[in-house]
Amino acid sequence: MVESIVFGIGITALAGALATVAGAAENVESDIGSQGDPNSQVQLAPQMGYIHRIFNKAVAGEPPAYGLWIALGAGLAWAFLAMQINPILALVLGSSLAVFVQGVYATTAYLGRTASLAKFGQPVYVDILKSMTTVTMAHAFVAIFTTVTMCYLINAALGHPFPLPLLGIVWGIALGAAGSATGNPFYGKERQYQNQKYGAGVPIAASGNIVRFAEAGERNSLDNGWFSARLGGPASGVCFGLIVFLELWRTVLFEEVGSGWGAIVMGIIIILVFMVIDRYIEVWARKNYGPFVKPEETSS
Amino acid sequence: MTVKVEKIEGGIPHNTIMVAGLIASVILIYLTYANVLTGTAYFSFFGGLATVAALVWGSHAIKHLCSYGIGTGVPSAGMIAFGSGVIAMLFATKYGVAAPIVAVIVAAILGAIFGYLANNVLSMRIPVMIISLIELSVIGALTLMGYAAMMTGSFNLTALTTGSIAILGMSLPSYYVSFIGGALIATVFMLGAIAIQHPFNACLGPNWTQDRMLTLAAECGFLSMIVAAIMSMALIPMGAALISLFVAVIGWYYTYAKYIELSRRDAAAWLDSKPIPDVEGQ
Repeated sequence: MVESIVFGIGITALAGALATVAGAAENVESDIGSQGDPNSQVQLAPQMGYIHRIFNKAVAGEPPAYGLWIALGAGLAWAFLAMQINPILALVLGSSLAVFVQGVYATTAYLGRTASLAKFGQPVYVDILKSMTTVTMAHAFVAIFTTVTMCYLINAALGHPFPLPLLGIVWGIALGAAGSATGNPFYGKERQYQNQKYGAGVPIAASGNIVRFAEAGERNSLDNGWFSARLGGPASGVCFGLIVFLELWRTVLFEEVGSGWGAIVMGIIIILVFMVIDRYIEVWARKNYGPFVKPEETSS
Repeated sequence: MTVKVEKIEGGIPHNTIMVAGLIASVILIYLTYANVLTGTAYFSFFGGLATVAALVWGSHAIKHLCSYGIGTGVPSAGMIAFGSGVIAMLFATKYGVAAPIVAVIVAAILGAIFGYLANNVLSMRIPVMIISLIELSVIGALTLMGYAAMMTGSFNLTALTTGSIAILGMSLPSYYVSFIGGALIATVFMLGAIAIQHPFNACLGPNWTQDRMLTLAAECGFLSMIVAAIMSMALIPMGAALISLFVAVIGWYYTYAKYIELSRRDAAAWLDSKPIPDVEGQ
């Protein structure tokens, strides 16, 4: 009994660590591709006359897109496992093929979006297409491989009843949602509007006027990847890692209590604890940074 | 919002695409029935071609619906198509040979109900909402049935829930190594749902062109078929899966090359390592 709990906690920690890496890689990938939150401004900029060299590969919102990449990686890995292939090889092969699909989708999204903006003079940059797609594919591989491995651990080591592809779709959507909610504001609200007083989207006149020039030369999405790798990526990683860790932790430890109800009660307690923490941070941040209290004095 | 903000100018009319897509995908799904007649699985690839036909029709149906100013709702249109389609498809697999027809009818009824709810209960008031959701449900059901037929060689429930597992050299029937038991249906759900919304989502904008979007739809269909063929290796004999893979790779390569060519035609400029050009008025 104790041994199985210790084993379960070990797997939980490992899955949490994998999820942290996945979250960080996912956010950097989506920021290089201007997916999710920042996308509307990248799409809008040429229409406002701001031609740019930013990569724009919105396949869908991040949760559905990652739902596909992870479910696909997991489905392919499942098929290879069913063909009696070694699990590690199956996971790597499944993730690689899923990344191939991701890469093709990224190129068609960039070409399609840019070609449809021809009226505003936005050109297709072939060098952007080549260099950014490969970088997003590399990050996507890390995100897909770690998440599919995590799903495999949940299924094979913790004995979760869901088959691998179903765990893939669930955790893929969760991964996309974590990256979309946590990491994207660093790029969409901060990086794109570094030249504006309070960051993103405050005056409507600044809509589409995203930062297009770098410290030297013209900014491309690799610079945005570099930026979001410092704060946005790790923040998403911590978010997704905590989600996975706490979810598995409560199941492993409290599933036996009250024939399953223990885990549910623990889940509710965790939500309440986080609500208190969130509220505290919000109030604290408003008190310390709130610029809207006396804008005239601070801005003049 | 009821104002039609984007017009479909020229090109093939939507009704032609709808009729062609419906007939092609139903016939192609029925061609996989040759598997049962011949006792092999070599005709499974027709299921994959059915999904391509359905997805091409689907991308245009989404364009038709989303031309009423639904910008951010494009991916969700793909989700509702497959969400309602999967119900109809699973229900229909109980009906043997009649399954594709039953799937179309049940999906149409479900789509009409969802369309009515969206328009009259949620008050979205989009004129083409009901007909579009009927189309999308039918497309979702046919696409899922196409994948099922391609990956298992059949479209009846027994085949979808029974696989075989090799233990000590013996082949034993297993629920867990099957299309539904192994939840491969979850993977093809996402494959189809992203493939159906991506063409319009990627090509929307003032310089939208129909041929480019439909080529992209076929490309997405064949790309999904490639990975579906690889997954089908676990469920059908390797020879049949390789035929599917071969057909998918050829179709994908052709449509991908064609799509890049069309993007090059439509783009404002095709530059390699060039700076941002000077635009008038700046």
